[in-house]
Amino acid sequence: MTSSDAAPIDLERMTEQLLKEIERTTKSSDMAARLATNRIRVAVGQTPKEQIWALNKMRLYHYYPQVPPEQRKPVPLLLVFALINRPYIFDLRPGNSFVEYMLQHGYEVYLLDWGTPGPEDAHYDFEDFSLKFLPRAVRAMQRHSGKREFSMLGWCIGATIVTIYAAMRPDDGLRNLVLLTAPLDFSDKEGSTFSRWLNTEYYNVDELVRQFGNVPAAIIEYGNKMLKPVENYIGTYLKLWDNLDNPAVVEAWLAMNTWVTDNVDFPGAAFRQWVIEFFRENRLMENKLMMEGRVVDVSNIKANLLNVIADKDHIVPNCQSRSIMDRVGSKDKKLIELKGGHIGIMVGSGASKRAWPQIEAWLSERSN
Amino acid sequence: MTQPPNGFDPNDPIGTWRAWRDATLDAWAKSMTALVNTETFSQAIGAQLDALLAVSGPVQQAVQQYMERYLAQAQLPSRNEVVTLASRLTNIEFRLDDMQAQLDELTDLVRKLTSSETQPAPDLTMIGERLQVIEEQLTSLSAVRAANRPRKATTEEKE
Repeated sequence: MTSSDAAPIDLERMTEQLLKEIERTTKSSDMAARLATNRIRVAVGQTPKEQIWALNKMRLYHYYPQVPPEQRKPVPLLLVFALINRPYIFDLRPGNSFVEYMLQHGYEVYLLDWGTPGPEDAHYDFEDFSLKFLPRAVRAMQRHSGKREFSMLGWCIGATIVTIYAAMRPDDGLRNLVLLTAPLDFSDKEGSTFSRWLNTEYYNVDELVRQFGNVPAAIIEYGNKMLKPVENYIGTYLKLWDNLDNPAVVEAWLAMNTWVTDNVDFPGAAFRQWVIEFFRENRLMENKLMMEGRVVDVSNIKANLLNVIADKDHIVPNCQSRSIMDRVGSKDKKLIELKGGHIGIMVGSGASKRAWPQIEAWLSERSN
Repeated sequence: MTQPPNGFDPNDPIGTWRAWRDATLDAWAKSMTALVNTETFSQAIGAQLDALLAVSGPVQQAVQQYMERYLAQAQLPSRNEVVTLASRLTNIEFRLDDMQAQLDELTDLVRKLTSSETQPAPDLTMIGERLQVIEEQLTSLSAVRAANRPRKATTEEKE
């Protein structure tokens, strides 16, 4: 830097900047105290709904429509999230809710909550979730809506579950299938950090499941956070600190943090299968995954398919989601790549401008 | 306020510190992300898990044995017994759910059958009116036929 580049020292401006910072810190101190004493609660999952079905820990919710009957789409939409987090990410906060958005566009929206597994649920695997529980939830939804045909949207491991369902139950009325950041193809062992960690022989999944039954949520959360340790353990709190004087940012941060830290145990048998049969052996894409005595063949999928991937997804890298496009039997299929991360594409600031309208437009053309 | 081209502003020490902090953190984040993606770190994660399992295994076993003895002495069900009971309840729930679905299907069928058997009763007044019209038409028709029939000679006429 040359002396001509340097701004001249201006004591008056420097003082002004310092005063501004002191004022900001003073304004923030109240918020910091409330945060430290846990006195701020952010309500999540607020869109009005009714529980229409329950089985074991599972719950199926129907959201009350927000448009007159004549404006409603005739094909209901079922949302399915992963096993390890809460599904209210679909309905995080009023104004930042995919559920609310779809209701306003005339969809009958149903949400499946897998619930928190108990020790008695440790033996459930993907076959149970895809072919024992999900079909029953679908049956309950069909009964409630009075419609046989439906659309289904699966996110993360939820997308894997609905893919298996679509392949094994192609004639059960599934018209439209939407996959969000779907982990399906694990052939690229260098493709993701999880592949490295779980593929290694150092990871003793059998003993983990034997000792704990269900894999504790804390271990799953630790694994997720360690993918980007600096961002997750330091960066996120600095972002909060920098915005303590902005209540809107603090509320948004708290809502997201509530969800991020609200994890559930991974059912033991499903976790073991996830690590061995999916991550290590890539059985689904190699047509070796057996369920109900048959091979799970994704070429049996006949439903219209929309596959949504995120360009900065560090949890499910694109290579795990793309190849399904060449394998499914669907005649109508589309892949879209959106800006954002694994979760950010659906709840970030750009979600209502990019992901939601594109998903809605695609579904709308196929829901009449 | 215009920022100097290199982001450094001697008149804004806090802002400068913040920019330095963010740049440092960014560089640190990138190097850590690269580190966790190495074979060495994978080994470390595995070793962490092994350490956890090595500690938790004996502890869990000891607690389990102690609790089982304690619960048996207190004549209370053990964890395994509660889990077995919960599994049985879940199985019952499944069967109930399937029975409910079958019942729903049957109810639908019965409703359809019932609705086909109980067709709306015909309007008798309308039928009566239509019958009356037909009767009138028949009467007039028979009158016409009677008028056109060739007359037979009566006994009186023969005589």
